[in-house]
Amino acid sequence: MPELSDFLILGAILFCISIAGIFLNRKNLIIILMCIELMLLSVNLNFIAFSYFNADIAGQVFVFFILTVAAAESAIGLAILIVLFRNKGSINVEDLNALKG
Amino acid sequence: MIKFTFYLFSLILIFASVRVVTVKNPVHAALFLVLAFFSSAAIWLLLQAEFLAIALVLVYVGAVMVLFLFVVMMLEINFSQLREGFVRNLPVAGLVGALILLEMVFVVGAWQNVPPPVATEIPNIVALGQVLYTDYFYPFEIAAALLLVAMIAAIALTMRPHNRAKYQKPDQQVSVNREDYVRIVNIPSEAKD
Amino acid sequence: MTIANLNIAWLLPEILILTMACVILVIDAYLPKQLRNLTYHLTQGTLLGAALLIIAANPMQPILAMNDMVIIDAMSVVLKLFIVLIVFFTFIYSREYLQDRKIFKGEYFVLGLFATLGMLIMVSAHNLLMVFLGLELLSLSLYAMIAMNRDSKVATEAAMKYFVLGALASGMLLYGMSMLYGITATLDLTKLSQSVSEISNDRIVISSVNQLISETEEVELAIKNVEKHVTTITNSPIATKIAEIIEANIETDAMVIIKPMLASSSQNYTILVFGLVFIVIGVAFKLGAVPFHSWIPDVYHGSPTSMTLFVASAPKIAAFAMVIRMLVDGMQTLHTDWQGMLILLSILSIIVGNIIAIAQQNIKRMLAYSTIAHVGYLLLGIIAANADGYAASMFYVVVYTIMTLGAFGMIILLSRTGFEADKIEDFKGLNERNPWYAMIMLIIMLSMAGVPPMVGFWAKWAVLAQVINAGFVWLAVLAVLFAVIGAFYYLRIVKLMYFDKPTSLVPIEAGVDMRFALSANALIVLLLGLMPNTLMAICLGAWGISV
Repeated sequence: MPELSDFLILGAILFCISIAGIFLNRKNLIIILMCIELMLLSVNLNFIAFSYFNADIAGQVFVFFILTVAAAESAIGLAILIVLFRNKGSINVEDLNALKG
Repeated sequence: MIKFTFYLFSLILIFASVRVVTVKNPVHAALFLVLAFFSSAAIWLLLQAEFLAIALVLVYVGAVMVLFLFVVMMLEINFSQLREGFVRNLPVAGLVGALILLEMVFVVGAWQNVPPPVATEIPNIVALGQVLYTDYFYPFEIAAALLLVAMIAAIALTMRPHNRAKYQKPDQQVSVNREDYVRIVNIPSEAKD
Repeated sequence: MTIANLNIAWLLPEILILTMACVILVIDAYLPKQLRNLTYHLTQGTLLGAALLIIAANPMQPILAMNDMVIIDAMSVVLKLFIVLIVFFTFIYSREYLQDRKIFKGEYFVLGLFATLGMLIMVSAHNLLMVFLGLELLSLSLYAMIAMNRDSKVATEAAMKYFVLGALASGMLLYGMSMLYGITATLDLTKLSQSVSEISNDRIVISSVNQLISETEEVELAIKNVEKHVTTITNSPIATKIAEIIEANIETDAMVIIKPMLASSSQNYTILVFGLVFIVIGVAFKLGAVPFHSWIPDVYHGSPTSMTLFVASAPKIAAFAMVIRMLVDGMQTLHTDWQGMLILLSILSIIVGNIIAIAQQNIKRMLAYSTIAHVGYLLLGIIAANADGYAASMFYVVVYTIMTLGAFGMIILLSRTGFEADKIEDFKGLNERNPWYAMIMLIIMLSMAGVPPMVGFWAKWAVLAQVINAGFVWLAVLAVLFAVIGAFYYLRIVKLMYFDKPTSLVPIEAGVDMRFALSANALIVLLLGLMPNTLMAICLGAWGISV
């Protein structure tokens, strides 16, 4: 069995990829939404690894709820994205320029 | 053997997530995200979280990612435009990401390694079910409210009340008078040349 | 588990709101358009009912309910009451505005109730899971409510920005929570707090034992010294463990076992602080403290004003409660670590908020930066890290929400169909147009600026006194300095109202309920300023301090 720290490092790598992804794709909202999913995936991996190594089920329960919330979140996020697209005809973050001051 | 499986799926997972953020076409990005979900489900299986692994595949791959693909394909987006600035951001984003990663690995990598516990007799699903509907039933209720909020929000935001589809209206159709629509016009025939 | 131990009766306010939200949703679906007002009245009735239930369910000592998921204590009762009442006022102010803009929909009020439910859950959370779920219930409802004005480009843009940054913040918060869970193996805040204090005790023991070992060269003597030292310590698991090891290994060299154990255990504290950093980042995002404030101006500016009012008021109370639950209930022993982070956030917020606000031409944006500055002051009381400081912060957050309610209420009042009074110039000559409304705005602006004897002054006074007591005099001096700079942009509005000619002479119209509520709001600000002790006593009472 791999060590606990292996799982944590994997989680950290995923977390950083998702943060770098948000920086990289600052223009494309849909990829940003995917990066957020990736970020939650890394958190889930952490929780499950801890749950296994601490022999405590609470971590898995937490993941269960994160999965639920993330599904709800992406539904709302995509709904807002569609409304935005209807209004602006674009999902380019640079077109989000009506608010400045 | 378990170690080999772990490293294999970890590599696939890292590869897939890197592709998610670097690939040009969002459809491909979504598909790579599916791959990432699959491989992390495999890693979760190694950690004896069978129920969650299955839920991840069913809920994410089955529902959420399909939703993503629908949206990507429904919106006719000019994707090439969205790629501008990618190369310019690459060094900064890569550097920031690598720095954060270094710090995080420095901390979590030094985690004192506990021996893996002995396998329990209770199956994972039973163990989850036992606490989910007893100790955690209040959060469970709230999660239900959350899903309801998502449903209300998605419908309220995207449903267009006035639809342009045309229906037949039988009551109006039967009560139509001949005079309303038909006009008899007496056109005198033209004289032949 | 039996039904009786669940203490369900203490959760009646939440149950009422959840049930009524579902009932209203169904009723609204079958209501003809002309009767839409019924939805509004039902919502308001629900909020008042919840307020009554909250007062009725006021426990003498903290009560844990629902398998320790929920805590009902004096603080939660006070904050919940204010949240419900403030949402009630928010809806009064919003009704006409929503009708004018054709977003007077049933879903708006249902989502508002769900957001309120989320806030109540956050306030009485006693488990990391509950903090997270309450926060998400609140945020998801808010995202949707902002985007509800579907045809407005700025509103959907604001919703999208809020969504992306909010989700990012949740991700950070969750990562922090996962670290805390990993190190303490619990999600319950009481148990978390115990483990955290054990780990920080361990850290002290480890460093003293290490010192003892390095001081004495002879191994046997060192072991004796260590044994003498660890047996005097009671509240540290590692001390007991070392004592056991020494006892079990009298013949052999106990040092061989102890040394690697010390090395590996010293890592725990680092990991704890590592998790704490992520939690503070997540919380700072939600509060809107600099440098995690970038969403606030855009969301305040872009949202329909009724939504700005909603986002700016009650959720701040919930965010304050979230800070208290996690940092104080869960990690009070780590206060030396989070104090430093909060000081940084607080200074930056006070400076950036007050300075950028001066340059704003849009009053919603100006109030957004003023919010950021207020968040900075709010954090001052928490930085004091004692019960008096938390009470002062609690006083500040309640006062802040009441003032914000009034300020955005005035913007809504001046707006008409097809016209948003969101420029600062729109307040020009308000005194000539209507002296009473100008008076209301005057009271609120003076209070926000912190001019004595307004209540805003007492709020600043309370947090500054606590931060000085805690020994951060320089921080207090800095805060006062920027409060004086900040007073400028509030007083500019007063000047515009009283000394400039009005640009439009359209009469200001509003319903009776709106006029009455707004006047009451201003009077509350005035009265609280003249008699701040009542509210202060309530806040101190919530922390078990009798006056």
